[in-house]
Amino acid sequence: MYEQVVAINVGLAMLLAMSLNIITGFAGQPTLGHAAFYGIGAYTSALLTAKAGWPFFLALPAAGAMAALVGVLLGLFSVRVREDFLAVTTIGINFVVVAIFQYVQLFGASLGLAVPKPEFLGVRFGNTEILGLLILLNALVYLFMRHLPNSWLGLALGGVRNDEEAAASLGYNADHYKVFAFTIGTFIAGMTGSVYAHFMGFISSTDFAFPVSIGVLSMAVLGGLGSVTGPLIGALILTLAPEVFRFVSDYRMLVYGGLLVLMMRFQPQGLVGDDSYLQRLWTKIRGRREEGKANAG
Amino acid sequence: MFFQQIVNGIVVGSVYALTAMGATLVYGIMRILDISNAGAYALGAYISFFFLLQTGNPLVAVVMGVALTAVFGFIVQKFLYAPLMDKSPNVALIAGIGLFIFLQDFLRLVGGPQARELNFGAMLPSVRLPGLGLTLYGTWFLILGATAVLLLVLWYLLNRSTVGLAWRATAQDLETAKAMGINTNRVVAFNFILGYGFAAVAGILVGILYNSIYPMMGDVPAYKMLAVIVLGGLGNPLGTVLAALVIGMAETLIGGYVGFFLPRDAIAFVVLILILLWRPQGLLGRRRVS
Amino acid sequence: MKNKRIQSLLVVLIALGLIVAGCGGAGGDKKPAAADNKAPIKIGFFAPVTGPAAADGDSVTKAAKLAVEKINKDGGINGRKVELVAYDDNLKPQEAVSIAQKLTTKDGVVAAVSGSYSHTTRAAAPIFENAKIPMIAAYALHPDITKGGDYVFRQSFVGTAQGKAGGYVAVDMLKAKTIAILNVDNDFGTTLADSFTQYVESKGAKVVSRDKFTMVEKEFNPVLTKIKQLKPDLIYMPTYSGTGAQIARQAKELNLGIQMLGTEGIDSTMEFLKVSGPTADGIIITTNLNRNSKLKATQDFIKDYTAMAGHAPDMVAASTYDCFMVLAESMRKNGAEPDKIKDGIYKIKDFEAATGLIKGYNKLGEVTKNVQVQVIKNGAFTYYGEISDPAIITPPDK
Repeated sequence: MYEQVVAINVGLAMLLAMSLNIITGFAGQPTLGHAAFYGIGAYTSALLTAKAGWPFFLALPAAGAMAALVGVLLGLFSVRVREDFLAVTTIGINFVVVAIFQYVQLFGASLGLAVPKPEFLGVRFGNTEILGLLILLNALVYLFMRHLPNSWLGLALGGVRNDEEAAASLGYNADHYKVFAFTIGTFIAGMTGSVYAHFMGFISSTDFAFPVSIGVLSMAVLGGLGSVTGPLIGALILTLAPEVFRFVSDYRMLVYGGLLVLMMRFQPQGLVGDDSYLQRLWTKIRGRREEGKANAG
Repeated sequence: MFFQQIVNGIVVGSVYALTAMGATLVYGIMRILDISNAGAYALGAYISFFFLLQTGNPLVAVVMGVALTAVFGFIVQKFLYAPLMDKSPNVALIAGIGLFIFLQDFLRLVGGPQARELNFGAMLPSVRLPGLGLTLYGTWFLILGATAVLLLVLWYLLNRSTVGLAWRATAQDLETAKAMGINTNRVVAFNFILGYGFAAVAGILVGILYNSIYPMMGDVPAYKMLAVIVLGGLGNPLGTVLAALVIGMAETLIGGYVGFFLPRDAIAFVVLILILLWRPQGLLGRRRVS
Repeated sequence: MKNKRIQSLLVVLIALGLIVAGCGGAGGDKKPAAADNKAPIKIGFFAPVTGPAAADGDSVTKAAKLAVEKINKDGGINGRKVELVAYDDNLKPQEAVSIAQKLTTKDGVVAAVSGSYSHTTRAAAPIFENAKIPMIAAYALHPDITKGGDYVFRQSFVGTAQGKAGGYVAVDMLKAKTIAILNVDNDFGTTLADSFTQYVESKGAKVVSRDKFTMVEKEFNPVLTKIKQLKPDLIYMPTYSGTGAQIARQAKELNLGIQMLGTEGIDSTMEFLKVSGPTADGIIITTNLNRNSKLKATQDFIKDYTAMAGHAPDMVAASTYDCFMVLAESMRKNGAEPDKIKDGIYKIKDFEAATGLIKGYNKLGEVTKNVQVQVIKNGAFTYYGEISDPAIITPPDK
């Protein structure tokens, strides 16, 4: 069904945006190559199920683990290389990973890979089951994200983001937390890749190219980096926009680009970031309600 | 064959240097990775193409292409980037990407999706040196000459003029420069005019070299130029030239002798990652004192 | 803190609500209207109108509109009008999948045509198959596209047939003994280069080098300099117009003087012929559009398309146009319901179309027709030969 497919696309985008938010929003490390990990997860899962005969439910975490393995390496790299140097390095990793998918026979090279539909307890996964799985994964990651800022880990990550030296003086080892953020973020991206592969039934290297990374980063920034709900809203808007504007076929990308420019220009803190329009509106409504309560009481 | 490959490498490197120079200048002052500069690259080529069709005069076409794109750079700086300067660099990055996507599709809608020919290269004949087994394209002289002249002008502007002094002071520390009485707003505006003008020159010259311009022509430069400016040490024009030559030469020699074991762009990024592991601050970047 | 919590929960609820609403809102699904004999017949179509393949997207969209216009002008399908439902896929498989879902479950099309590249078409094909809506891929080359079942057809030569035909031109017509290959690194270039190599090696010719590059490559001097040293008799270049035009130009500048053989990928009047200019003269290609054909269908198409678009048609346009003509033929003869259209396509025999005489479709859904060999002369594609040998043009049926 069409609506299910659109919902699946939104669900995939939300997971990606949240996973990027852990690295870029919470730990403040630039990532312009997130699609690489999405792709590593997708290819890992595709190979494990199609060639090694693993069941999907083992391949799913394995895809996350494989992506996280490369994520750890990038995390270690981030300790040595800073800021924009790191940002461009992540682009490089994206290109190299896509190039490997494109050139190595094992990954289907230029012909791509066919991916079997998952089966669980005899049920062959159609779009409904995949959507269910995505809602579950989104809920889990969301709960994790909700609790992250208040946990010791979240505090440490915030410290790393805002002032590395101050965090270090408080006894946090900034490097450890950076690597940790990369590990979790890429693990989730890898799992998302696995779901993507089994949903599509066919993957090829360009599905994970640099523009996809840019798309994910745009979602997170548009919604509000570092906020818990922001990336979800960003993912929702930027995934639905091209579908909604399908009727203006020829102008779709023009609208998409224009939307990004205007939102960034006028809501640079993200749609639900601090002091954004929506945030203020919410405070206002809430203030009125409290007032009402006080009056009634 | 060896000499031919060396020349090929130098030409590819010069094209990269020209293409990345605009973004280098912008980064030097603003500290943002300005992807919309690759949009200006395509825009400049298209404006030039438009004026070539209208007037048939290559000189008018080039001048108008560069001038109007420079004005566009001024507008972008004034109305898009300036208000975002105190925000996270991610914001300016995404705004720039949005503008880039918008520009590409705008050019497709206005100029049509097909590649168009920017044929002023036909009047420049190739030179053949059979003794050395060399062929030198007529357009190569144009590219190499333009790169050399523009870099000299840039070097003079930055190092030997008062404008350059203000530029360097602002690049070092915008706040201090302001306190010292430098009109930093003017420096920043000038910087964008120069940066986008450079992008237009690059777009036009590459359009002539390959006799084709198309709406998505900025796609490859958009990320390639980032690799070049980062490898050069971010915002250092001389570093950019050096990095462009390193990447151009590496791609050419690997492609010519070893064969592409990975796509050209991936090779460029492998070179980048290896060099950054060795020098995390880039080829000519200074390690920041902490 | 609590405020923030409620706020975020609300947002997530809205998001989930949207998803659920989306799922629930599917009640209005339309099945192809079979009972209504007056309503227009809808045919779905998708093409990369935006994104890196926008030039081809533009050509095929024009061809699709022209075809529907033509069908309606000729009286429609037994009195019923045909309506085009066209979408842009941005060359993204993920978008192609949602378009395929939209076409099959919302728009109520009875058949569809893919005017897009391989990966998008490959991802969308199973959806048409499962929905039992026939789909014809106009020029996508991935070998797996037609393998999913009965409902997916292909209107252009499968890669192996065209690769073999290229080999035939190289060794049997041009008598090349040593060959260098330059192929674009995707399923198109790879499949063609592989089957070409197989054929020429079986005939005793030697492939002296094979280099691949991405779709956006522009700089071929390094690799052409290398090939110049090898002195091959011929360069085979299965690639697209952007890259092909640069190969032609740079080979000329480097004074290579080697015969070049291209494929339908550079059969483009705007992008290839204009950019390469006089340097393209003498290049031979294998394609499916014979400009000098005596068939009325071909000449009418060339005339109508040129009048509509303002430039001569290319191969992707011709192929797309034919998909619609084949669908119309099947609907007129066999009925306008998806199952009948599918059966009707299998029954087609010796149908005169823009891309020549369609001999029929095999059980995979692969077309059989002659391969056209054209040469570029004075900036235009002209007749050079035609390959009708069944050993070469018969597509594989498994």
